[in-house]
Amino acid sequence: MTSDQPSIAEMGRRLRTGAVTSVALTRDALARIEAHDSALHAFILVTTERALADARQADADLAAGHDRGPMHGIPYALKDIYDTAGIPTTCHSKLRQHHVPEQDSVVTARFSEGGAVLLGKLATHEFAIGGPSFDLPWPPSRNPWNTEHITGGSSSGSATAIASGMLRMATGSDTGGSIRGPAAWCGLAGIKPTYGRVSRRGVFPLSWTLDHCGPLARSVEDAAIALQVMAGHDKQDPASADVPVPDFRAGLQRGVAGLRIGIPRAFFAAAKMVTPEVLAAIDRTAHLLRDAGAMVEDVALPDYAIFAAAGRVIMLSEAFAIHRIDMQTRLLDYAEITAGRFVLGATITGPDYVDALRARRELTDAVNAVLMSCDALLTASSLTTAPRFDAVPDALSSLSPMQTIPFNVTGHPAMSVPVGLAADGLPLSVQIAGRPFDEPTVLRIARAIETIHLSRSAGEVAARSAAGEGAGA
Amino acid sequence: MSATPSETALAAEFDCLMARAGLTIPPARRAGYLVAFADLRSQIALLHTNHSATVEPSNVFRLSPMESAR
Repeated sequence: MTSDQPSIAEMGRRLRTGAVTSVALTRDALARIEAHDSALHAFILVTTERALADARQADADLAAGHDRGPMHGIPYALKDIYDTAGIPTTCHSKLRQHHVPEQDSVVTARFSEGGAVLLGKLATHEFAIGGPSFDLPWPPSRNPWNTEHITGGSSSGSATAIASGMLRMATGSDTGGSIRGPAAWCGLAGIKPTYGRVSRRGVFPLSWTLDHCGPLARSVEDAAIALQVMAGHDKQDPASADVPVPDFRAGLQRGVAGLRIGIPRAFFAAAKMVTPEVLAAIDRTAHLLRDAGAMVEDVALPDYAIFAAAGRVIMLSEAFAIHRIDMQTRLLDYAEITAGRFVLGATITGPDYVDALRARRELTDAVNAVLMSCDALLTASSLTTAPRFDAVPDALSSLSPMQTIPFNVTGHPAMSVPVGLAADGLPLSVQIAGRPFDEPTVLRIARAIETIHLSRSAGEVAARSAAGEGAGA
Repeated sequence: MSATPSETALAAEFDCLMARAGLTIPPARRAGYLVAFADLRSQIALLHTNHSATVEPSNVFRLSPMESAR
């Protein structure tokens, strides 16, 4: 899939020179949604009137010299676990099908204050965990690269909307990989910032100590711009970090020369599900980063299985605590997959949960120790490309193709960035993780990877054209 | 928690935990849940290492000083 929409930065430039209006951008986005969403199911609700009102306000503000920042006048959408005052926030669940919040989430409010244009609410796996499910009031999103394949989750509608070109950026949430997974399987940039960087207030929780809010976007720069709006301290979010917010775009073009990048190869190299193409993509990316001047070397981290066990125990325990009453009284109103996962949470004992939290401290210390001598880590986002709907791995199994949960457990910032296509025509990706609150370095490396792969792709297309071949998909 | 209980013991433990949690499991789903329970149990066993008592949970809370309202 490609998007012929200009980047967020370019849309911003055109808005400020008067070459385009926010109303025109919004009508264009609404037309794309109208054209594609009936087949892709990215949206639960399209807020057409709200979008046009936001756009008219954005145009009026700019005309009056009131510039609200980098998302001013830019269409975007929210995963439907972000509260929106007066607009239903369903969590893609029958249990909250008619829930209308009275207040915006902090992130929603920050986008509104920043002049962004809300296009609507996006599909998710139910309560950000249960999917893809066909036994809910709305169907699951489909992968625009091949609609027989899933998007990954849980920020499924966000990925579908961006990858199909409906918009450039949407919010996601990431408890075990729900931003980075769909980004990986749909060829997008998706960043889970450091735990505490973005307020979670007004976003329906899955697991308080693992939940992170962040953006999915068409490009690394788009993601950096969106994160700039989302980030900031919130005194009313107990996990919010009172740390300065840097300019996330400032270092994007600095390249990787001189950076030390570690590869925790044991995480993925011997994993049961890993494909040769994923391994080759990581090695190719490492090689290209070395060519660009980075020092890339293998590093050792604790066994991946310990990260996965700690993360799963924490997530399922906290999720069941949130859903206990509804599970006791309305279990059959949940999708079967969701209910099955929450049932597992009921089997975890208090000491098991505490052991997971003790492991978490040790795992975080271990990652920090490696990051004392490395600027960042390069690893897999996923062990495979997106599976078909009829070949999704067992939803209740501990086996997962995602390689994202370690950095939910430790809270480090981590980003998925695309690195080309596999033979099945679906996107491949890698994951970059960095030091706490060092999103700028993560974004800088991701931007370098994106640039290298885009230039390689352009070169390959030019070479094929010169050889008289088609440009391909 | 032992790592490999018998199927019967595992099922009894699962039923007990469901009763304790106040959950009513549809009979058609029980077999699948038992398989998933065994899988999770194996995963949890990985966390049962011999931690020193000094290894505290990650989310030990801390207080900040506060001012009197008077």
